[in-house]
Amino acid sequence: MFSVKPVKPTFKSYLPPLQTDLRKSPQPIKKLEAKLLPGEIVVNEVNFVRKCIGAESGRDDLWGKLICTNFKISFITHDTLPLQKFQYRSRLLGEHDIPLACVEQVVTVNDAKGKQKVLGSNQKLKFNPTELIVYCKDFRIVRFRFDEAGPESAKKVCLAIAHYCQPADPQLLFGFEYVGKQYYGSSGDRVNGVDHGGGLQTPLFDRPSEWDREIKRTGASEWRVCSVNEGYAISPSLPEYFVVPVSLADQDLKQYSGFFATQRLPLWCWNHPNGSALVRMASIRDPAQQRKLDQRICNAITKSHPKRSDVTKSDLDKTLPNIQDIQAAFVRLRQICVIEPFEESEEKWLSSIESSRWLEYVRAFLKHSAETVYILEGKRSSVILQEEEDRDLSCVVSSLVQLMLDPHFRSLQGFQSLVQKEWVMAGHRFLDRCNHLKKNDKEECPLFLLFLDCVSQLMNQYPAAFEFTETYLTVLSDSMWVPVFSTFLFNCPLQHAEHSKEFAQSKNIPLGEDKALRFPPVWDWSQQFTLKDQALFNSPLYVGKGATCVQNGAVKSFRRTKKSYSSTLRGMPSFQNGMAGEHTLDSLPRRNSLVLRLRPEFSQMRDAPENPSERFFRDWFSRPPDLQGLLLPQLLPSHLKLWRLYFLRWVPEAQISRGGPITAFHKLSLLADEIEILQSQLRQYKGSTPASTPAFTPGTPQPEHRRMYFKASSPQDDASPPEYLSSSFPFSPVGNLCRRNILGTPFSKFLSGAKIWLSTETLANETV
Amino acid sequence: MASASIPAYSSNALENSSTKNASRESLKMEPLSDMPLLPGEERVIDKDIIYICPFSGAVKGKVVITNYRLYFRSVEAEPVVTFDVPLGTISRVEKMGGASSRGENSYGLDITCKDMRNLRFALKQEGHSRRDIFDILFRHAFPLSHGLQLFAFLSQEKFEENGWNVYNPMQEFRRQGLPNDSWRITFLNENYELCDTYPALLAVPFKASDEDLRKVATFRSRGRIPVLSWIHPEKQAVITRCSQPLVGMSGKRNRDDERYLDLIREANGGTSKLTIFDARPNVNAVANKATGGGYEGEDYQNAELVFLDIHNIHVMRESLKKLKDIVYPHVEEAHWLSSLESTHWLEHVKLVLAGAIQVADKVSSGQSVLVHCSDGWDRTAQLTSLSMLMLDSFYRTLHGFQVLLQKEWLGFGHKFGSRIGHGDKNHADADRSPIFLQFIDCVWQMTKQFPTAFEFNDRLLLTVLDHLYSCRFGTFLYNCESARDANEVKTKTVSLWSLVNSDRSSYINPFYTMESSRVLYPVASMRHLELWVGYYIRWNPRIRHQSPVEQRYRELLALKDQYLKKLEELQLSGSAPRLSNSTAPSPASPTQRVTHMHTPF
Repeated sequence: MFSVKPVKPTFKSYLPPLQTDLRKSPQPIKKLEAKLLPGEIVVNEVNFVRKCIGAESGRDDLWGKLICTNFKISFITHDTLPLQKFQYRSRLLGEHDIPLACVEQVVTVNDAKGKQKVLGSNQKLKFNPTELIVYCKDFRIVRFRFDEAGPESAKKVCLAIAHYCQPADPQLLFGFEYVGKQYYGSSGDRVNGVDHGGGLQTPLFDRPSEWDREIKRTGASEWRVCSVNEGYAISPSLPEYFVVPVSLADQDLKQYSGFFATQRLPLWCWNHPNGSALVRMASIRDPAQQRKLDQRICNAITKSHPKRSDVTKSDLDKTLPNIQDIQAAFVRLRQICVIEPFEESEEKWLSSIESSRWLEYVRAFLKHSAETVYILEGKRSSVILQEEEDRDLSCVVSSLVQLMLDPHFRSLQGFQSLVQKEWVMAGHRFLDRCNHLKKNDKEECPLFLLFLDCVSQLMNQYPAAFEFTETYLTVLSDSMWVPVFSTFLFNCPLQHAEHSKEFAQSKNIPLGEDKALRFPPVWDWSQQFTLKDQALFNSPLYVGKGATCVQNGAVKSFRRTKKSYSSTLRGMPSFQNGMAGEHTLDSLPRRNSLVLRLRPEFSQMRDAPENPSERFFRDWFSRPPDLQGLLLPQLLPSHLKLWRLYFLRWVPEAQISRGGPITAFHKLSLLADEIEILQSQLRQYKGSTPASTPAFTPGTPQPEHRRMYFKASSPQDDASPPEYLSSSFPFSPVGNLCRRNILGTPFSKFLSGAKIWLSTETLANETV
Repeated sequence: MASASIPAYSSNALENSSTKNASRESLKMEPLSDMPLLPGEERVIDKDIIYICPFSGAVKGKVVITNYRLYFRSVEAEPVVTFDVPLGTISRVEKMGGASSRGENSYGLDITCKDMRNLRFALKQEGHSRRDIFDILFRHAFPLSHGLQLFAFLSQEKFEENGWNVYNPMQEFRRQGLPNDSWRITFLNENYELCDTYPALLAVPFKASDEDLRKVATFRSRGRIPVLSWIHPEKQAVITRCSQPLVGMSGKRNRDDERYLDLIREANGGTSKLTIFDARPNVNAVANKATGGGYEGEDYQNAELVFLDIHNIHVMRESLKKLKDIVYPHVEEAHWLSSLESTHWLEHVKLVLAGAIQVADKVSSGQSVLVHCSDGWDRTAQLTSLSMLMLDSFYRTLHGFQVLLQKEWLGFGHKFGSRIGHGDKNHADADRSPIFLQFIDCVWQMTKQFPTAFEFNDRLLLTVLDHLYSCRFGTFLYNCESARDANEVKTKTVSLWSLVNSDRSSYINPFYTMESSRVLYPVASMRHLELWVGYYIRWNPRIRHQSPVEQRYRELLALKDQYLKKLEELQLSGSAPRLSNSTAPSPASPTQRVTHMHTPF
C-alpha cells in the first residue's frame, strides 16, 4: 500500500550522522542538580533515566536525572536535543520541565510483564515501571524510560509524581510556598523576586478607582461604583467593587441580593457610546420574586440609558452549549489531535474534527456574541446576559462582545484588563474549571481556552486589529498550568483573599504592609519571560490607536479623541437615518430576541422582507472593515479553522519546517522594526536643537526596547527565514509528543477503561 | 433592493486596466454605452432582463452580449449590481420554463459556468422574448461548434510586453546546464513527426541515438517517449516523463525501451536504480493492460516501480462537481467539514502533492526518476511540475512559473482544449476535467505553507484560472504545441503573459524572499490542506477578497519610504543632531545606517 512518505524528508535533513551509538551506555552523571525556585523542594529523584525523543528509534533519546519536586517534574541532562533549533524558555521552568499542575494523567508501564497502570494519588504500584508516560493538559505526551535506572527509585519517583500532582488542598498548590518565600526578602534567593504590581499597567479591578476609570472611558455617566460588597459582605462570588445603575441605591442592592443565586447582583460590563449597556446577571432563585425583581432591574438599566431604550435579555443557558458539552468536545479534540496515530487519522480528519464539535461551539459563541453586538449597536438597546450562575458562559460572551465593539480591548493592556474584569473579578471558577486539585472531573472545562480560540478566529480574520499575537494567546493559556499566578488559581476574589490570608497566618509569614499574600498576576510577564522573549507577543501588523498607517500614499495617524469614538464605530449611519431605526424594535420579540439568525436561507428570503439584523450584518460586511471600530466575525463554517498553533504544535508530522504563517510574520517584523528605528530617529531630529544637547545619544533604540522580536539586521545577514522557524514556532515538537504503540496496538485502545482519555468513544467507533 | 453582492460581482475584476471604456460617440444612445469593451470586442445584442441573484433575489436590469462577454447591470437596484462574464467561461446554456410556465420569473435562461458559479435570468413570457438572446448566447459562447472564431483571434489588444517571448525552450535547457556530457538536445521532433503531442525540442540521454528514440516511440503510448524535464544542478539526477509502455494483455517486452531506461539511469553517474513513479493506482495500471497499455514489469532490471495512487480525470471531475454543490450558491453549513471530506477534493490534492514530494525527495537525494501515468499529459504534468516547483526556486518566481507552465503543461501537451472544452457546446464531454485547476490548487497550498517562498501572489493564480476559460488569450487554446503552431496562435493571438508582465507589480508577493538552493517540502496532510476559499467560494457576497496581511505590508513599506524621505530632507536641511561617538561604535549618519537595514522587497 502506498504510504505517505512526505513527512520524512522534512526531518531527514535534521538528523545527525549515524555516529550516535544506539546502545550507548549511560554515562556517569555528574552534578545534575535540580534548579529550584524559592519554596521549591525535591521530593524524589532517580538517575540514569532516558527521555524519549523520537517515536520509534531511541537514537536521539537523552540521558539524565528525573526529579519530582513540589512544583514540577524536572528532567536534567547534559545532553542537548539534537533536533532542536529553538526554544522559547520560561524563567520558571527548564527545557524539559513539566509543572505538576499541567499533568493530566500519569501512566506507568512494565514492558516485560506487559503491565500498565494509570497512577492516582496515594496508590500502590505492584510492579517496577520500565516506563513513565506523562499526559499533559497542554497536549504534550512525554515519555521516560527506566531501563538503566534503579527500579526502586524509579517507582518512588512515579508514585511521588502521581501523588504531588493531586494536591489535597488549594494551599498545597506551589504558588503559596513560592509567593510566601518572597516575603523573606533578604534571603538573597529572589531570582524572580515578585514586583508587587508596581510597574504593572494592567488594571486588576480590585479597587474603585479602576472601575471609575472604566466608567469614564466608556462614557457610562449613569452608572456608579458600589461598595456594598466590601469585605465580601453580601456575595461570596462577587468582587468587592462593581458597577451598578445610579438609580439603584445601596439599600436596594442589599435587599435584592438575597433573591439571586449566590447573592450575585447584576454586574455592569461595558457601555456603548450610544448609551446602551452590557450587563451580566445570575438567575433569580425565588420564582415569586422573579417578575418583580426582573422589572426593577430592567427599569434601572433603562433609566441609565440616555434614550431610555428597552432592555433585551439573553438567556445563555438556553442557546449555548453547557460546560459538560464543551469539556466533552475538548477531550474528543485532544484524542484526534494528539492521541490518534497520525497517518491512520488522515483520511477521516475533517469529519473527526467536525464530530468533536469543538469548532461548532467556537462558532456558537462567536455567533451569539455577534448577535448581542447587533442589539447593542444596531438596536441601541441594553443587553442583560443571563446565566444560572453568571460565572461561565457569560464570561466568554461578555468578553467577546466587548472585543468586537471596543478597539481598546484589542490592545495588549486592554485585552488583559478585559480578562481581569470579565473572568477573574467576575468570579470565573478557574480553580474548578482547571481542575487544579483533580478532585472533581465533572467541574473541569476549558472555557477559557475556548474563549482564546474564539479570539484567535477573530485574529485570523482581522490580523491587523490586534496588538498581540497568536503566540501570546497560546502562552497565556499555557500559563494556566503554572500555578503561581493569582489569575488562574482561584474561583473568585474572596477565595483568593481567604486562602492568602490563612496561609500567611498559618506559616507566620512576615507580610509587612500587605494584609495577605500577594500573588503576581499572569500579566506580570517578567515573572515568566525575558523582555526579549516578551516581544513575541507584539504583532507587527497592529493598526493601533496611536499607530500610523498609509492610505493613498499619505501618512495618517489613527490617534483619535474620545468624542469621535462613536462615529468611528461602523454601521451607525444607516440606523441614524431611521431606515432601520427605533421602529424596528417593535417588529422584534422583546424577550429572547436572540432567535435572530445570522445567515438566512437566501432561497427562502426572496419573498420575505429582510430582517433588520440580517441587514445589519450584510451592511457591515459589504464595506471594508475599520480596524479601529466594530469587528464582526465571518461565521461561514468555511472561515472558522482549527487553531493549528495551539492544537498541533507538538505534532511532529504536522510541522512545516521553515514554513507556516510565522515566516511572513518574520518578514513583517523586520519591516516594522525598521520603521520603529526610523520613527525614533525622526523624533530626534524634531526634538533636537543643535546647541541644547551636548551628550546626545544616537537614534537607534536599544534592541531590547524595540517592539519586535525579529530585529532588522545588518546587510550581511540574509533576511531569509531563520532555520529554526516552523509552523510550531516558538514551540517545538521535539520530545514533546511521543505516542506509544504497545505490541502494535494504538495506545488509546490499550488503555481502555482508564480515566479521561478514554471516557469518550474512540474514533473508530464514531466513524464506523 | 439593497445587495451586498456588488463587490463580489464586480470583483470579476481581475480584468485589468487594459480594459477600455469604449464610450464612443456613435454608441451614446445604446443602453449601457459605458460598459467596458476590449479592442476588437463588439456588441451583439442587448436586452431588458431580470437577474435572479441567489443571494438577494430578482434584480431588474439590462444585459449586453458581445463576442467576448455577457455584461449585466441593474437598473433600479441601489447600489448597482453589475457583473461581467467572459463567454468562454460558460459551459452550458439552458432554457428554463416554457411559454406557459406559471409563477413569477419562471421563464428564462439557466447558465452554468466553468468557474464555480451559475447565472439565472428571467424574461417576459410574451412573444418568445428569449429566443434571440438564447440563440446568440449559444452561438457566441460555443463558437467552435458554430464555425465561428474564438475571441482570442478577434482581439485587437496591445500590451507593452510580448508574452510569447517568455519561454524559449533552448534557453531553458541552457539554464539547466544542458546539453552536457550525458544529455543532448534533439531536433528529431522538429516537425512533430516522432510524437505529435510533444514539443519540438527534446532532451534525451546522450547515448541514445535518434534511431533508438524512434524504436522506443513504438512501445510508448502515442509515441510519448521518456525525455528529460529537469536535471539537478549538482547531483545530475533527473526527472524524466513519458506515457505508459504498451505492454498489453500478453505482457510484451521491448528491449529497446528497457535499454533506453537504463541509459537514463546511467546518465546519472550510474546510480543503481531508476525509480519509476506510476501516478496511477495499481489496479488502474493493471486494468490498462486490457487496452494495450500497462506498466514496467520485472524485465526492467535496474528500475523500481512505485504507484502513487492518484485517480483519473473522471474521478477528479466528479469530485469538483460535488465540491461545487456544497459551496455554490450557499456554503453547506450544518455539516461543513464532513461534506467537504465527502467530496474528496482535498484528499486528491493531498495525493498529488504527496506524490510530487516523493519525486522531489528522490531527485534531491541524487536518484533519477521517470514519471508517467497513462498518456503522460495529466497526472504526469501535475507531478513533474509540482516537484520541479519544490526543487528549483527559479520556478517559484513570476517569470519562472510562466516558464514552468509553458514547458511542462503547454509544451508537453496537456490537452487544454479538451479538458476545458474551449468554445465547444458539448458540456458533458467525458474529456473535460479540472486537472489544471487541481494543479493550481496544489500550488496555492504550497504558497500557504511557505508564504515567503513564491514571488507571485494569489492574484496571479486567480488570473491564470480566469483566463484558462476566458478565451481572451491564446495561451491555453488547443491541445498541444503542434496544434497551436498549425493555428498560428503565436501570431494571431495575444499571450496571457503579455497581460501579466505588463503589470508585474500586481502579481508580486510582497513577502517573497529569494532562497535559491532551498528545496520546499510542504506537509501533505489534511492537518494543513485547506479549501481555497478565495477561489471556490469567491462568488459568495459574504466573502471578502483581500489579503489583509499583504495589504498591511504594502502600507508599512510605503510608510518606511516616507520616513526615509523625511529623514533625508531633514539631513539636507542641516539640522542633523550631533551624534556623540562615545556610545555609538558606528559614526554613520542615521540615513546611512538606515539604508543598510535589510528588508529586501
